[in-house]
Amino acid sequence: MLGFGADLLWADMNRLLAFLFHQGVLDEQFLQLQQLQDHTSPNFVSEVVNIYFHESEKLLNNLRSLLMEREFSDYKKIEIHLNQFIGSSSSIGAKRVTSVCIAFRAASEQDNRAGCLRALEMLEHEYCYLKNKLHELFQIEQQRALAAGVRYPMQHQ
Amino acid sequence: MEQSSMNSGEFPAGLRVLVVDDDVTTLKIIERMSVRCHYCVTTCSEATAALKILRERKGCFDVVLSDVHMPDMDGYKLLEHVGLEMDLPVIMMSVDDRTSTVMKGIRHGACDYFIKPVRLEELRNIWQHVARKFLNESKEHDNSSSREDNDRNNISSAAGATKGIVKEQKKRSNLKDEEDVELENDDPSTSKKPRVVWSVELHQQFVSAVNQLGLDKAVPKKILELMNVPGLTRENVASHLQKFRLYLKRLSGVAQQQNEMLNTVPGTIESKLAAAERYIQTVAASGYVSPETLAALHAELLGHPVTNIVPTVDRTTLMQAFEQEPKHSGADDHDVASGQPLAKYPSNIVNNFPQSILKVDNSSLGYGAWPPSDTLGSVSRGSLGVPNNNMVIDILQHHQKHQHQQKQQKSPIHDQNQSINVQPSCLVVPAQSSDTFQEVKSVASVNKDCSFSRNAIIDYSQQSQKSNISSSTSQYLGRDTKSTSISPLMSSFSVGSSNSNIQQIQNSTSTFGAARPLPSLLPMTFRQVPYDIKSSDSLDQVCLRNPRFVGKGNHISSFENEIESSASDFSHMKVFVACNGNTVKEEPKEEPNFIRYSNVNHPVLYNYPSHDHSSAST
Repeated sequence: MLGFGADLLWADMNRLLAFLFHQGVLDEQFLQLQQLQDHTSPNFVSEVVNIYFHESEKLLNNLRSLLMEREFSDYKKIEIHLNQFIGSSSSIGAKRVTSVCIAFRAASEQDNRAGCLRALEMLEHEYCYLKNKLHELFQIEQQRALAAGVRYPMQHQ
Repeated sequence: MEQSSMNSGEFPAGLRVLVVDDDVTTLKIIERMSVRCHYCVTTCSEATAALKILRERKGCFDVVLSDVHMPDMDGYKLLEHVGLEMDLPVIMMSVDDRTSTVMKGIRHGACDYFIKPVRLEELRNIWQHVARKFLNESKEHDNSSSREDNDRNNISSAAGATKGIVKEQKKRSNLKDEEDVELENDDPSTSKKPRVVWSVELHQQFVSAVNQLGLDKAVPKKILELMNVPGLTRENVASHLQKFRLYLKRLSGVAQQQNEMLNTVPGTIESKLAAAERYIQTVAASGYVSPETLAALHAELLGHPVTNIVPTVDRTTLMQAFEQEPKHSGADDHDVASGQPLAKYPSNIVNNFPQSILKVDNSSLGYGAWPPSDTLGSVSRGSLGVPNNNMVIDILQHHQKHQHQQKQQKSPIHDQNQSINVQPSCLVVPAQSSDTFQEVKSVASVNKDCSFSRNAIIDYSQQSQKSNISSSTSQYLGRDTKSTSISPLMSSFSVGSSNSNIQQIQNSTSTFGAARPLPSLLPMTFRQVPYDIKSSDSLDQVCLRNPRFVGKGNHISSFENEIESSASDFSHMKVFVACNGNTVKEEPKEEPNFIRYSNVNHPVLYNYPSHDHSSAST
């Protein structure tokens, strides 16, 4: 039986998740991730997401520095980065980020630098939004776990 | 090849997978999924490193999953290398789902192509590629040796893929010494059984029994009863029946091809001959006719009593009937349209024999000669009580006439001499069991829903950013059409509470411990250690032993003995056990380009602080 606080937090978490799904920020792949989490790896989702954040930030930095070059022409490199970004984003279920990446890739295939820059901005925005929301989610989860954990010792008393 | 994972307790559990991807996120996810599937997984983020691993530990992997686009080496190159050097099945992965890319993968020899994100269900299926490759190889190997080896070594086992594969592998390794090959039947648990020789007489009895019962109703038990042969087991009959059915199916397929080739007057003899001709064309495609056979043909045609040569004939053709393809392409291969179906024969065989009812549309099949049904208007079942021999002889003779007219001199026998490869005493072992294990599933299936319509419409309506998005931004219709395991968005997900997994892991790990030799690969797991820093420190020293481990907080926890003895210690460490249970923990901080695989060859005991048994991983 969860503590009172834990219940509320659980509801919060669900609500947030539902919201994110509804917004298209996350998709069912994220659910798959959650299903992969179990007793043997109870922090799997947060670990993967942290890896994702870490990698993504590097990718974004690379992309920005590439596009900001004065003599930029290496669209191939952009596409390589984007491929990785698409792969990782889709793997964790970050739907909107993936969409933007794909748009970005299309612009890059057309050698459209302006389009790429726009897409990059959008991508950064989406990514920040996702990161904030996921952080929020993990925070709630941690609090919930704490609240639930606190409950148990009391039961024995 | 050393012990493969297929010898372990429950294939495909224990399948040894190497995952190569420069994207660490995907790597971790696939790793986790693989563990969930009870595979032994090794991850690698660099193709060059992966190749190194593969080369160093040949025979330690069953399948390779590789990304297509990698910075240091093209995925296709890796694919080629692996195919050439190690001949392992390779599955490509990518976000790129363009047909051309997928095609390129296929052309380079990929077994399969996954579109990212890879789903657990897709990962569960990869074992089929291992099985398929393995069985194909054993067949090739067999075919390169003598025919007799073929008969002996290709056993018919209708059991599930697991056990059959195990037996196949044993045979494969014993290929050179042909002594200890056993004829496996439906029941693989019986170790050695006396070999069953399906002689002509025996087969005749079998056929008449089947005739009596009707092919649809012919069950091994009843056939066995009807045959009333001492020493014959139900399993023998069952496997023979399967072969028979397959053969019929093949025939009926071939017959349709050859319908136009033969104008058959639906008279009894004519149709018999025609049908028989078709049969012989499929069977003796390459002119495998022994001199005895042809002599018998002559004898029969001339109305002479059938001599004891006939059994040879029958056995020959029976043998050939069960052979897969005419390896020694005879003179008139081109004449025989059945070359095709013959070659396809093995690949058409469905894995689960007992369940598959081969649809032999054989309402009017006369089993005596196994002619295809559709052209035999007047041939009624059972009316071909003609002994098999006669029919066969007719067939052969007919065939010979048709096929070798131009070459015919005195007797067609001479032409065939060089291509004769019949051993009269050879055993008609119901043929290759390897056939039975081919998965029919499509190989190069692009595991992505093609229902995506990427006509590029991005729905930006939801977004609230400072978007001055012009229409130049290409658009993309997102994944809404994806039909993956969609759970309702509002469903309450379970945040880490599936006990059943524990049990599975427990069971499988104990299996692994028993079956697997130690120096093999180890699954990689990524795991932070939120709780006990102490234990991580104590483990560090072990990790330092192998400088390949990069990153802090690496843990190598050995598996077999320790797990059993100190199960409790592991629980809280969240060390999940897969395969041989050596897990490498890392805190993913630095750059992802390191090889994550450990090479611990002996168990090491660690002092974990004792914890509760609640989430014991063994």
